[in-house]
Amino acid sequence: MSTEPIGLARDLAPKGVMRAQIGHTDIAIWRSTNGVVSAWENRCPHRGMRLSHGFVRGESLACAYHGWHYDCSGKCHYIPAHPELEPPSTIRPSIYSVVEQAGILWVNTIADADPVTLPKDLLSIRSITLACDLPTAIDSFSSAAQTEVSLFNGSVSVFSQQPSILSLSSPDGADGIFILFQQPYPHRVVAHVLANNLYQANDLIALSRWCESVRRAAEQNTQSSNAPASSL
Amino acid sequence: MSGYEHALKYWYPIAMANELAEGQTKHTQLLGNDIVLCGNNRGSADVRTAGKPLLVQSDYGHVWTTLSDDPHPLFSIPEASEHGRRFVPCGVVRVSCSPLRAVENFLDIAHFPFVHTGILGSEPHTEVYKYDVNIDETADEVFATNIKFFQPQASKSAEGGIETEYIYRVPAPMAAVLYKTCPPKPEYLDVIALFVQPLDEETCDVWPWMALYDDTSSMADLIQFQQLIFVQDRSILENQMPRRLPIDPGHEIPTKADLTSIAYRRWLKKRGAYYGAFEGI
Amino acid sequence: MSITLYNYVLSGNCYKVRLLAKLLDITYESVAIDFHPGQEHKSAPLLKLNPAGTLPILVADENIFTETQAMLVWLAQNHDTSGTWWPVNNSDQIANVVQWLGFSSRLSATIGELRLNSMLNKAIDVDAAKQGSQQSLRELESHLCEQRLKGLQWLTGNNPTVADIACFPYTALSPDAGIEHDEYPSIRSWLHELRSLDNFLTMPGIHELHELKSIDGKTP
Repeated sequence: MSTEPIGLARDLAPKGVMRAQIGHTDIAIWRSTNGVVSAWENRCPHRGMRLSHGFVRGESLACAYHGWHYDCSGKCHYIPAHPELEPPSTIRPSIYSVVEQAGILWVNTIADADPVTLPKDLLSIRSITLACDLPTAIDSFSSAAQTEVSLFNGSVSVFSQQPSILSLSSPDGADGIFILFQQPYPHRVVAHVLANNLYQANDLIALSRWCESVRRAAEQNTQSSNAPASSL
Repeated sequence: MSGYEHALKYWYPIAMANELAEGQTKHTQLLGNDIVLCGNNRGSADVRTAGKPLLVQSDYGHVWTTLSDDPHPLFSIPEASEHGRRFVPCGVVRVSCSPLRAVENFLDIAHFPFVHTGILGSEPHTEVYKYDVNIDETADEVFATNIKFFQPQASKSAEGGIETEYIYRVPAPMAAVLYKTCPPKPEYLDVIALFVQPLDEETCDVWPWMALYDDTSSMADLIQFQQLIFVQDRSILENQMPRRLPIDPGHEIPTKADLTSIAYRRWLKKRGAYYGAFEGI
Repeated sequence: MSITLYNYVLSGNCYKVRLLAKLLDITYESVAIDFHPGQEHKSAPLLKLNPAGTLPILVADENIFTETQAMLVWLAQNHDTSGTWWPVNNSDQIANVVQWLGFSSRLSATIGELRLNSMLNKAIDVDAAKQGSQQSLRELESHLCEQRLKGLQWLTGNNPTVADIACFPYTALSPDAGIEHDEYPSIRSWLHELRSLDNFLTMPGIHELHELKSIDGKTP
C-alpha cells in the first residue's frame, strides 16, 4: 500500500476532524488549534466510538462519547470521569503517518508517509467522490480532458501510477491541473483536484462543474455496464 | 448452547399495548425471524412466525412475545402496579447497533456531560464517584447502587440542577431498569426502563417506558423528554466499532466508572448470552 | 406579540424554527405534540389548526403558518434588527435566499423521509429516498464548493440567512439516516460554521461543539 492522498489540506481547518478509509482501515484525521495534523485508527480504545466524531480542544482530540482527551502523540491524558487520574500510557489509538504537502494530506497506514512531489502553489479546487471503480474514474477524467478545449489543451499525462495522479495541460501548455485519485473502498473513488495559479476565479468554478460532468459520465458508464442483460 | 439459543428463552417487546386496532397487522423481526402481529380485541395481538403461533403477554405498556415454548418468566417491575404513578410508553426508536450495546449505554453515566449536555450532565461536573455493583444471586440480576451525579435538568419535572441518585438493575440481557431521584417527590424514585427488541445481532428496536410521579407535565412533554435523551444516544450507538459488544476483556479499556458495564459483560458471559456479542479476535 | 410553536422534539422542520428563534433571541411558547407514538398531529384539534396534518405549526399574532419557510421569513422579518437574515434590501441575495428555501424542501423530502424510515420505521420507497438524498447533498456540496472558491462561506453570500437555517437541519442529520458527511468536505465546513454561531441551539443528532467551551482546572 502506497502513501495515499486522502484529502485537501484546505478541507481540514484548525479544530477540524474528518474521516478517511484506506483498504479496510478506518482513519480519523484531525487538526489541532495550532495546526498540527494527526491520523489515527478511528476508534476510541475505551468503548469503540469513532474518533472522527470527536471534538478538538486546544492540542487534544476528545472522544464524543465520554470526552477522553488524547494529545497529538495519541496518548490519553485526561479522563473526565476521573479528573485526578493520570491515565496509563498504554491508552492510545494506533497512529498512522500523515504529511501535509502541496495542499494535500497524505497518509500511510503501514510506513512513513512519502508523498509524491507536486509543484508548489497549486490551488485547491475540490475533492469529489465518484461511485465507480478506480480505472473507470481515471479513464473518465482522462478522456473528458482530451475534448475539453476551453480549460485544457488536450494533453493528458500520467504523473504517477502509485498513487494514481493525472496531469492535464492548460491551454498555454503548462502543467495545469493535477487530479489525485484515492479509493477508500471498492466502487468508491475520491478525486482531489488542484489547479495552477494561472487559472482565474471563473475558471475554477468551470473546473468544479467540469468535474461534476465527468462524474455523471463515469457513473453512467458504470451503471450501464452493471445493468442486467435484459434491460440492454 | 449458542447465543441464539440462549436468547430464544426470553420475552421481548414487539408493540405498544393498544398500538394495533382489531384486525390490523404489523410485520417486524425478532432474533432474525420474521414476525407478524394481528391486533385483537383485548388491546394485544396474536403473534406468529412462519405460520406458528407464539406465546404473548401484555405488561409494562407493551405486547411481549417469545420464540420459546418454555421461556424464562418475564421479569418483574413491582412499581408498575403502584398507585399514583404515571405510566409512559415512549414509542420505539430503531438503532443500527447490537441490542447489548443499547443496554450498556443505558447503564453508563460518564457520558452524560458530553452526550446529554446541559440536561443529564455538564462540565465541569464530570467526575463519577465510587458506587457499588452487585450480582443479586437469587434473582440473578445485575444491580448498581449508590450512584450520584450532578444533573442540570434531571427530568421534565426538575427545576434547576440537582445531585441525582441512580440505581440500575439489569433483569434480562436485553432490558435495563433505572431508578432515579424523583424531583417533585424526593421520598420516591422514578422508574425508567429500556426494553430492547433484537431484530438481529446488529439492529434493534428500543422501547423506553417510564413510571413516574409527575402530575403536571403533559404526556407529550414526558415522552419527548425521553425521546430527546434516547436519540442523543442513538448517534453514539451507531458509531461504536465493532457494532457487536466485545464481552471478553482486552478489546476495550474500562475504568472504575465502568463498573456496571464490566459486571454486565461478565454476567452476559457467565450465562452464555452471546447474541449481539463480538466474538472475533 | 404572541408566538406559539406546536413542536416535536425530533422534527428537523420544527428545529429550524427553534434554532432561528434562539439565534435571534425570540421568546415563544412551545406546545409539545406527540408526533410519535401518539400521531397527535393527525388528531382532530390539530387538523383544525392545520388540515395538512404536518408539524410545525406556528401561530404568530393573527397568522397560522404551516410551512416552515414562511415561519422563518416571518420571524426574521419581524425580529431581526440586523436585516441580514432576510435581506430585503439586497435584490440578488434575497432571490437566492428564496431559491435555497425552495431547495430545503427537497432535503426534507429525501433525507427527512429516509431518517423517519431509519429511526421510526416509516414505510417509504427507501431506494428512491437514498438516491434523492445523495443527489441533494451533491448539489449542495457543489454549490458550497463554488461559494468557497468565490471566498463566500454561506449559501447566499457572506452572512447566514434563513436559507442556511432551512437547509441546515436535514443536512446535519443525514447520519441519522445512514448518510455520513465523509464525501462532502464543503458541507462539513459549512455545518461547522453554522454550529459555531453565537447562541447556537442543538437537537438530538446534532451535538454541541464542546471545543468552544473552556472549562476550569483540569482542561489542557
